[in-house]
Amino acid sequence: MSARTFCQVAALWLAAVIIQPALAAQAPNAPPPAPDLAPRLARAADRIASIDAQASRVEDYNALRNLQQIYGYYYDEAQWEQVLDLFADDASVEVGLNGVYAGKASIRRYYYGLTAGKQGLVQGQLNNQLQLSPVITLGPDGQRAQARWRVVMQDGVFNQSANWGAGIYENEYVKQNGVWKIARLHLYVRFYSPYESGWTRATAALNERYGKSTAKADRPPTQRYETWPARYTAPMHYEATTSDRYRLAPPDSAHAAPPPQNAPRTAAQLEAQVRALDLKLRRLHAVDELENLESSYGYYADMSMQDATSALFAENATLEILGRGVFIGRDRIYEYMRRLGAPTDGRLFTHMQLQPVIDVSADGNTASIRARLFEMFGVNGSQAQWAEGTYENRFVLDNGVWKYQSLNGYQTFYTFYEQGWGKHSVPLMTYFPGYPPDLPHSVEYEPFPAVFIAPYHFRNPVSGR
Amino acid sequence: MRSCLAACLAAAALLYQPARAAEPIVTDSRLITEERRVQILEAKLASLQREIDLIEDRKAIERLQQLWGHYVSEGMAHEAALLFSAGPAASIEYAQQGVYLGRARIEAFLKAGGARLQPGELRETPVMQAVVHVAPDGRTAKGRWRSLVMGGVQGQDGRWEEGPYENEYVKEGGVWKISRLHWYTTMSGSYDKGWHRQSYPAAGPLANLPPDLPPSERYQSFPSFFLPPFHYLNPVSGQPVAWDYPPTGSTP
Repeated sequence: MSARTFCQVAALWLAAVIIQPALAAQAPNAPPPAPDLAPRLARAADRIASIDAQASRVEDYNALRNLQQIYGYYYDEAQWEQVLDLFADDASVEVGLNGVYAGKASIRRYYYGLTAGKQGLVQGQLNNQLQLSPVITLGPDGQRAQARWRVVMQDGVFNQSANWGAGIYENEYVKQNGVWKIARLHLYVRFYSPYESGWTRATAALNERYGKSTAKADRPPTQRYETWPARYTAPMHYEATTSDRYRLAPPDSAHAAPPPQNAPRTAAQLEAQVRALDLKLRRLHAVDELENLESSYGYYADMSMQDATSALFAENATLEILGRGVFIGRDRIYEYMRRLGAPTDGRLFTHMQLQPVIDVSADGNTASIRARLFEMFGVNGSQAQWAEGTYENRFVLDNGVWKYQSLNGYQTFYTFYEQGWGKHSVPLMTYFPGYPPDLPHSVEYEPFPAVFIAPYHFRNPVSGR
Repeated sequence: MRSCLAACLAAAALLYQPARAAEPIVTDSRLITEERRVQILEAKLASLQREIDLIEDRKAIERLQQLWGHYVSEGMAHEAALLFSAGPAASIEYAQQGVYLGRARIEAFLKAGGARLQPGELRETPVMQAVVHVAPDGRTAKGRWRSLVMGGVQGQDGRWEEGPYENEYVKEGGVWKISRLHWYTTMSGSYDKGWHRQSYPAAGPLANLPPDLPPSERYQSFPSFFLPPFHYLNPVSGQPVAWDYPPTGSTP
């Protein structure tokens, strides 16, 4: 090596020694050798499996709630084929003291035997059974569940009879091929009494009229009990002292999340799984937000608060109630609400929103609710009314906030308190005087005593019918 | 010379940058490593864990509140009282009956009035129309519900009672409990005559079991107008929802 070459090399070496720290300062992330991510990916996969299992339990809870509430809507209309689809093949049905109907063929005979062998209501029949107040308990294996429900019956035949009733369901459910079905339906009737005399004059004989089918039961009742006024508590499927400790996700390791399937091998695969889980949770969260929204609509409508109520609607939303026609846009909805009148002493305007069947779209951006409207009106000293109907509402997620896209309220009956639905039903309400709609109402129908089934936003959750 | 060669090799080694194990990805116009991407997803998973816990909390609260309705309907005062927080601040308040503090006093109130069923008495208490908000830390929650009670004693006039609950909850040892239950009477009326012909004032204090505190709010039920306050703002507008009493104007 020449002296010149030596100098060149030495200079290069010097430069390297001096420049290297400078380079390091310029690029502080000069990466170390790539770490082995496999253990972290494995831990993330476990975590995804655990959160997903927890989310699936909440999905089950929501599906069971919808299932029983949907049963109620079909039952109201005596849509027996739809009702039958909700049962497992080896299910049983027991209503009041009418005995046990076991297996689908018997169950079919039971329901058809309630309506003279025909499906569907005939003119003048009302068959409402409100599904309320669920206590749902998922089994530890995720394949069975139990629930207690409270029902209010509101039925009769126009110009002949009207009844109030109440009872308790203690039901069992089974998940087959990923779909929840009713395994055992057991209604304990508490009272069933004529509208005129009310429940305080109920007798065992009156109560036992409920749910009587012309079909013969397969077995005697599983429980012998006396209906009200005797005191009888339908057995609870949960222990009183521990019932409040129940968690949807069982804490015991025996039912821990299954080992993850398709464990991610790259960050890209992990990201895809995290995004899918994120969507699943957003859809579950939406169910709760939507329930709050629908309930709030009812609380605000109670008080005719046009500002609070109309604020719940999207800018271009539509509103269609009874036969009042279609109102387009939030401003028009505000004016509609204003015409319901301000709350004041001496006036009762209760708008109960019950039995919500909530469905969120696959992308989590739109949703639908079917709900039951149950109203109590009063003008002190002069008049009171009952009203019942069905809401079918659509919702849209607008910049992260759920809003009404459309509200459609169908009238089943409005009746004066003194007469009740057995003797009186107001015809379909028409346009507000001096406030015509933007469009006429979209569905032609007549309320009770005519038979009208408000269109469903959902298909049968078991059969897809 | 040999030492010069060694020095050159050392310099080359210092300057050598090891190739990355995987191709970097572009996120937000920056290059991030596979490791950084995993780190971000780990943080996201931690937040999803908190979210699903809050979602499950809501279901637990719904179930707790529904247990309440079923126990009260059956006259099971002891079981209903067990749903409350064991802390001294737990409270129950019905209508204008005043406030009872602590689980023992809550149970005494329920046995004396709130969940008492005489022979032949009925108190069907469905709990409906939920608005529930769980605090972000998952330790407390609030809920509005409503009840339409079918009450009365065999052979006498029946009674309709309607009104909302504004309740509070607390998680104790991983279990949700009711920390405050407040049921407002909107209307209490005769079955036989109808609420428009015969309504009753909201129930007052029990003579044989005076409350620990007077009612937290004074109001009158139907035919008076009263809007029980909401624990939450309008979910879309974010505005408080209230109506002045007495209401003014606005009727078209």
